[in-house]
Amino acid sequence: MRLSKKDKLFLLSLLPLATSVLALLILIIFAILLRSLQAINKFGLELLVSSVWSPEQEIYGVLAPLIGSLATSVIATLTALILSIPLAIAASEYLKGFIKNVFSSLIELAGGMPTIIYAVWASEYLVPFLKTYVMEPLHRLLPFIPLFSCKPITGFSIFAAGVAIGISVVPYVTALILESYNSIPAMYKEACYGIGAYRHEAVSILLSLSRPAIVASLLLGFARALGETTIAVTTVGSSMYLSSCLFAPGYTVAALIATQFANANLYMYAESVLYTAALIVTVIATILSFYGSVIMVRWRSRIVV
Amino acid sequence: MYSGRRLKEALFTVTIITLSVAAIAPVLHIVYTVLVNGVSVIVKAGLRFFTDLPPTPGSAEVGGIAPAIAGTILITAIAFPLSVVLGLFSAILTTEFPKNPLSLLVDTIARSLASVPTIAISMVIYTVIVVPMRSFSALASALALTIVALPYTYTYFSAALRSVPAMYREAAFSLGMSRWDTVTRVLIPISRRIIAAGALTTLARIMGETAALLFTAGRFRGGVAISLTAPVDAIPLLIFDYILSPYEIWHEVAWGASALLLLSYLAIFMSVKLMVKEVKL
Amino acid sequence: MLAVEIEHLNVYIRHAHILKNVTLRIPKNTVFVIMGPSGSGKTTLLKVINRLIDFTEGVRVEGVVRVLDIDALKADPYELRKRIGMVFQTPNPFPHLTIYENVAIAAKLNGVARSKRELDEIVRWALEKAMLWDEVKHRLHAYPHQLSGGQRQRLCLARALAMKPEILLLDEPTANIDPINARKLEEAIVSLKDEVTVVMVTHSPHQAARVADYIAVLYDGRVVEQGPAQQLFLRPSTEITQKLLRGEM
Repeated sequence: MRLSKKDKLFLLSLLPLATSVLALLILIIFAILLRSLQAINKFGLELLVSSVWSPEQEIYGVLAPLIGSLATSVIATLTALILSIPLAIAASEYLKGFIKNVFSSLIELAGGMPTIIYAVWASEYLVPFLKTYVMEPLHRLLPFIPLFSCKPITGFSIFAAGVAIGISVVPYVTALILESYNSIPAMYKEACYGIGAYRHEAVSILLSLSRPAIVASLLLGFARALGETTIAVTTVGSSMYLSSCLFAPGYTVAALIATQFANANLYMYAESVLYTAALIVTVIATILSFYGSVIMVRWRSRIVV
Repeated sequence: MYSGRRLKEALFTVTIITLSVAAIAPVLHIVYTVLVNGVSVIVKAGLRFFTDLPPTPGSAEVGGIAPAIAGTILITAIAFPLSVVLGLFSAILTTEFPKNPLSLLVDTIARSLASVPTIAISMVIYTVIVVPMRSFSALASALALTIVALPYTYTYFSAALRSVPAMYREAAFSLGMSRWDTVTRVLIPISRRIIAAGALTTLARIMGETAALLFTAGRFRGGVAISLTAPVDAIPLLIFDYILSPYEIWHEVAWGASALLLLSYLAIFMSVKLMVKEVKL
Repeated sequence: MLAVEIEHLNVYIRHAHILKNVTLRIPKNTVFVIMGPSGSGKTTLLKVINRLIDFTEGVRVEGVVRVLDIDALKADPYELRKRIGMVFQTPNPFPHLTIYENVAIAAKLNGVARSKRELDEIVRWALEKAMLWDEVKHRLHAYPHQLSGGQRQRLCLARALAMKPEILLLDEPTANIDPINARKLEEAIVSLKDEVTVVMVTHSPHQAARVADYIAVLYDGRVVEQGPAQQLFLRPSTEITQKLLRGEM
């Protein structure tokens, strides 16, 4: 495309905007990097191998929250995997007319609902429910599996946070899967039924066709779960103790920051340590969502003829 | 063999329907419990819920959440137009000059901002605005929310602009319209409902965002502050603090505030639905 | 007097050579018809004249294109387009504007009308010229989706006329509308000759016979023949033209 003089002027008039958007990003990157450096220089890898939060003695280790963030996100992604795929299939293949409209409206409604509302509901209803109907039975039946080895005391735990965050991520992942599922050209669907496939056979063929898109959606969901703050704080139990058991209270990086950052400036390194933790989580989330979008774009360019 | 396939088909259908009902059930339960628990609190407090200060922990009266309501309105009134303008101009840039390096830059940034956890944005604004200004403020909160909302407005608006069929652009240019006229008189008006729907969805996001406010707003609950540079409260922030507190009365207030937030969200959601329903090109 | 003068025009889109060494002379105040099978580069040729080609990704244009005595490839495309109207293959009236506004916007933006009265007059004039006035005069403030396809296309013609162009480009304007509307459009086109130069792309030899003063035949990006319409119909000099005129291509 060639740009005429007027086009160039127009482009130029948008320059301040582009600069300010760029400035925002640079601001964020630099602030996080600079504020992290202090702690990285002082403690180095030590930060990542221990689990202590003792600002009075200036001793820090964020292993437990880091693992907590990853564990809750894995559980959240699994929740989304189990619930989002059937929901997407139901919404596009099984439901018709009014019911279909109701379902897709509810998916949208859930997707935009403030997470604080999920957080309130999860801490008051979901956690007790999970404790009685999921955690306790699992502990009773399978206590020899390390993940289920501890008795859930309050219910507030890595497991509860993972499921709660998962529920809040389900609509997002479902929307992504639905969008890609619906972008599969109709001819593939017709081809499936054309060779005499039953509906479940057609669906599984289409699912395997869209496997990269589903993986991408889950990656994007994982990235979102990593950064989730309010739900984590209200359900994770806030404990720096690192346990192999999912039913024990724990921490996530976002929850640690949410509860500790406000007072962190009273100490030498606390703030910088929290910045380092935020840096790690942000980098992981950015890489995952970048990778997810790349897979998605590549898949789409291959599927749409 | 034949009936085996039928059995499989039936099992598959049952599984799909069961799991998708399980996936949808939480939404219904959330709306139900928040409304049941919250609306009764609002009804009990009456109009004072909107005009009074929050109760002290020992208080028997629910009081109100006036500071939080005022704060949310104030912060939203700054962050919403800012993110709409930034998002709209970014979208115009990247849709009008898709191959320009500047567009690629803006597009990449706007998209990657979406993956930065909002709590990290709150930390950054705390460090670069709150600390130098020596005060939490509505301004700092609004700035944080603008950054949170920018990826949303940008994505919605560029999708809206791209949804306008190319033949209308061609018609506009063939009439001798400048690029600015084409964008403002043809592309934006044709996609106005989609743009409005995107803007409203972002509005809901801004109103409900909590983490970005944690270290920027300052949770001032002693009165209604209408100042850009003074600490403020916000509805989601109040809910967050009160639901984590051990006091029964604060839990009640949190439920009431949640119901208010949910009702506002539902109202916005309905208007978006109505708006998009009428889209015709 | 020439309205458009094209010499040795070559257009490449990515690696495809779309127009090959095209040389054309379009006299003023005539109906100049470009014929050719689909994919021969007709639309591209039109879009070079008003520089809509600029919006095609990966395009390269070489040669000389003089439009209304200015160098079209070097001129400011926005100023150039103000003097050239265009009607597209698919009717594309702006869906968010009323019938009146669709026509008025073209006049207003190009400074054709200064007062509300002048504007009203121009809108009426353009709609009359497009033979649409009688059908819409009582619903000028309705939206175009209430019109039939053929009416929409005539609305587009009126819109193009309202900018008072010196050249009018028509890209198979009757391809997507019914025969009755097509005839009305043709009538309108012929009656326009006194005021504008019409450059029209068409598939149909019958249509060409009805409206054309001059014809150029485009095949695979090359002009294989051009000249007065009668001459081409009586003595087509190439086999391609013969086939095209017989409707076999």
